[in-house]
Amino acid sequence: MELIIKRERDLLKTLWLSLFVMGVAFSMVVVVYGHDAFHDFRHVIGMPCH
Amino acid sequence: MNWKRGIGSGMAAGIVWGFAAMAVNAITGVFPVEHDLLHNITAFTTGGAIFGIVTGGLLTLIHDSLPFRTFISNAVLITTSIWLILRIGGFLLSSVKPVRYHADLPATIQGFILAILMGGILGIVCQIWQKSEPA
Repeated sequence: MELIIKRERDLLKTLWLSLFVMGVAFSMVVVVYGHDAFHDFRHVIGMPCH
Repeated sequence: MNWKRGIGSGMAAGIVWGFAAMAVNAITGVFPVEHDLLHNITAFTTGGAIFGIVTGGLLTLIHDSLPFRTFISNAVLITTSIWLILRIGGFLLSSVKPVRYHADLPATIQGFILAILMGGILGIVCQIWQKSEPA
């Protein structure tokens, strides 16, 4: 029983982590593709820009 | 590795990488920056932290299924893969809106090298944190 609860807890933790990483990944896309604040950053890391 | 530590390592590595990216660009002179130093410190550390959280989080999530044994190799694989995916997205945007999204080859090469550097920094930070973790 405890093993099942632990497994569910681990699964939930992985789910939250996945959601968190996806949320931050979305922010990264916004930053990387964009006269905005991250203009110089985008050029320096080699992304196409205006 | 503990997922909180993975994200924490990523954020720390990303902030360091933000400063490193500014330094590398200052040395190479590939892109003459348009904003002042204070603005760019904020933008580069924020952008680096976001990139770091994604790569650190992913490294924690899929570390066991990655092909290499060391943190550094796996981290470099993740950072370069993410950079390539974003660059391919950029290429598609360039095709759709060439005026707004025009590519620059020297900056692209610099960006790829910086992605490798990010993987190296992230791998080192993860290894340090892993060693400090109680067994």
